[in-house]
Amino acid sequence: MRVRANEYPKESARVIREEPHVRESVTGATLNFDAKRRAAYAEVDSEQWRHFAEDVKNHVLMNLEHYLEQAATALERSGVRVHWAEDAEAAQRIVAALVREKGVRRAVKAKTMISEELGINPLLEGLGVNVLETDLGEYIIQLLEQPPSHIVGPAIHLSLEQIRRLFHERFGTPLDAAPDTLAAAARKLLRQGFLEADLGISGANFVVAETGTLVLIENEGNIRLSTSAPRLHLALVGIEKLLPRFSDLSVFLSLTARAATGQRLGTFVSLIQGPRRPDEIDGPEEVHVVFVDNGRSSVLADDEAWETLRCVRCAACLNACPVYRQTGGHAYGYVYSGPIGAVLSPGLVGLENTKPLPYASSLCGACFQACPVRIPIPKLLLTWRHRAVEEGLTPRFEKAAIKGYALAMTQPWAYRLASKALRLLPEKALDNTVVPVLQAWVEGRAGLKPSSKSFRELWEEGL
Amino acid sequence: MKERILSCVRRALEHRPSPVLPDPLTLPSLSREEAVALFTERLSGNGGEVVRLPDLKGSREWLEGFAQSFSGAAVSRMVPPVLYPALPALPPEEAPLGISWAIGAVAETGTVLLSSREGRRTQLLPPTHLVFVPEETLYATLLEALQALKGDLPSAIGLHSGPSKSADIGQVMVRGVHGPGRLVAALIAELSD
Repeated sequence: MRVRANEYPKESARVIREEPHVRESVTGATLNFDAKRRAAYAEVDSEQWRHFAEDVKNHVLMNLEHYLEQAATALERSGVRVHWAEDAEAAQRIVAALVREKGVRRAVKAKTMISEELGINPLLEGLGVNVLETDLGEYIIQLLEQPPSHIVGPAIHLSLEQIRRLFHERFGTPLDAAPDTLAAAARKLLRQGFLEADLGISGANFVVAETGTLVLIENEGNIRLSTSAPRLHLALVGIEKLLPRFSDLSVFLSLTARAATGQRLGTFVSLIQGPRRPDEIDGPEEVHVVFVDNGRSSVLADDEAWETLRCVRCAACLNACPVYRQTGGHAYGYVYSGPIGAVLSPGLVGLENTKPLPYASSLCGACFQACPVRIPIPKLLLTWRHRAVEEGLTPRFEKAAIKGYALAMTQPWAYRLASKALRLLPEKALDNTVVPVLQAWVEGRAGLKPSSKSFRELWEEGL
Repeated sequence: MKERILSCVRRALEHRPSPVLPDPLTLPSLSREEAVALFTERLSGNGGEVVRLPDLKGSREWLEGFAQSFSGAAVSRMVPPVLYPALPALPPEEAPLGISWAIGAVAETGTVLLSSREGRRTQLLPPTHLVFVPEETLYATLLEALQALKGDLPSAIGLHSGPSKSADIGQVMVRGVHGPGRLVAALIAELSD
């Protein structure tokens, strides 16, 4: 996927200005998710669960080589073909080879973020494969040719009205159709897709090293169908997704569901140990797992950012974030948005390509409170900001401006001088591009208007 | 490629301390009656339905009534013949009712556990899914269920905790999106006649 994160300031301002319904839809949905998450955390000893999950993930990450070997051995023992991809190109080569070798014409996809990261849909389309996203939200954004706006609810930015109009144009459903009617129209089309597909593509929420189990969480049943109906199943799995023991699933399944949607467990959980056995009547003939690095091992080597690899992609931090809520995920310019995107993306694709993201936060700390694996997101936002300064990635004027600001704020004479100078500026001087520093600001906002009198003067006059 | 990735991981972890793996977190177990009550409350809360049947004979009688509103059924091969409904047998692609035999259930989450050995399509394609659950396999917690299953894992286990649902269209909850829109769990207290 092309990284457009450096356009975040302009793009976020544009979304707020030109697409006000996005803010409305995203705010409504995320506040709802967040309230459910809080209630579900309150039902259990969530502090104990979060510490446990953090400790298990830390243990796995610090022994990752061992657990990758163990998982690969267990998977192969149950008949899974295991592949390794160090980057997106390598993953694409593996998928393309499978498609050619097995004569794949039709593929169904279970919602997976790593597939977005690796650019699997454009690859398959280029190979002439008919690709169908089967998660209802993913299907909707596939029709619109958009990337996901949220990790769990990919179409969270769209209003019911917009979806009604889309389905009316594509499937002839009435413009006032109930959501049930719309879902039924999609179900009919997608059901056919499941039964005709040669290949089902999924990610994995976890892979259990001990038993070689692929674990997938969902609510619709499309993942169970994608991994059950086609003759081939391919799972794309980040190397950080491992859990040591089968029993670890008891906390991780429930904690992830609580964090993501406030459920005690996803409506459907698949525990997959390999292809159909000789005594079984259905299921895929072949299961392929691709372990993907694509920047993860260099994040692991990073003394601070490695903690982002604990992430279980529940999106609880997106739902808790007052900044994400304003724009949804598209403005962030990369597959992972919101607070976790702001600290994970610089590690995966380079800080120089994601400079504005660590600044897309008020540092309120809500993301850390929500995170089921206690990733210190606010601390890491500051880490990336410090590094941006150290690496000279911040604008040249910033240092001078901060120095000037420090002087004005610590010396009364300088403060008085500066505020007087601002007040003496001609009308509308800050309304256009005369001061280049303010250009980005005024592009998305009304111009700045200095008060004609200082607060001190107003105070002396009795306000 | 595997070696290259593993050596990158190895280099990344040089001189890094290894934290210990904590013991699994356990929750208190429950009596049979408590587990049944909790399972019923939780699965119903998730939008599923629960009935409790005394034994196979009682289950047979209940099934005769339940099956009347369906025109046919796909029945998993793990279901004992006494619990085959008096309905035409249909493939899962066409059947309005799918009938499964659970390999376990979890009270704390309101979940039935389904094995790929009985056929996955029966569990997924029909709009109504009836699952028989012998009460002796009802576990209080997910941890207990996982520990009991670990020794003999089929190619796939499905954990179903309610009807298929989605809120992807304008945040309105819709049922029966891809999987069954109706899930009925029938607990059988004793596996005798």
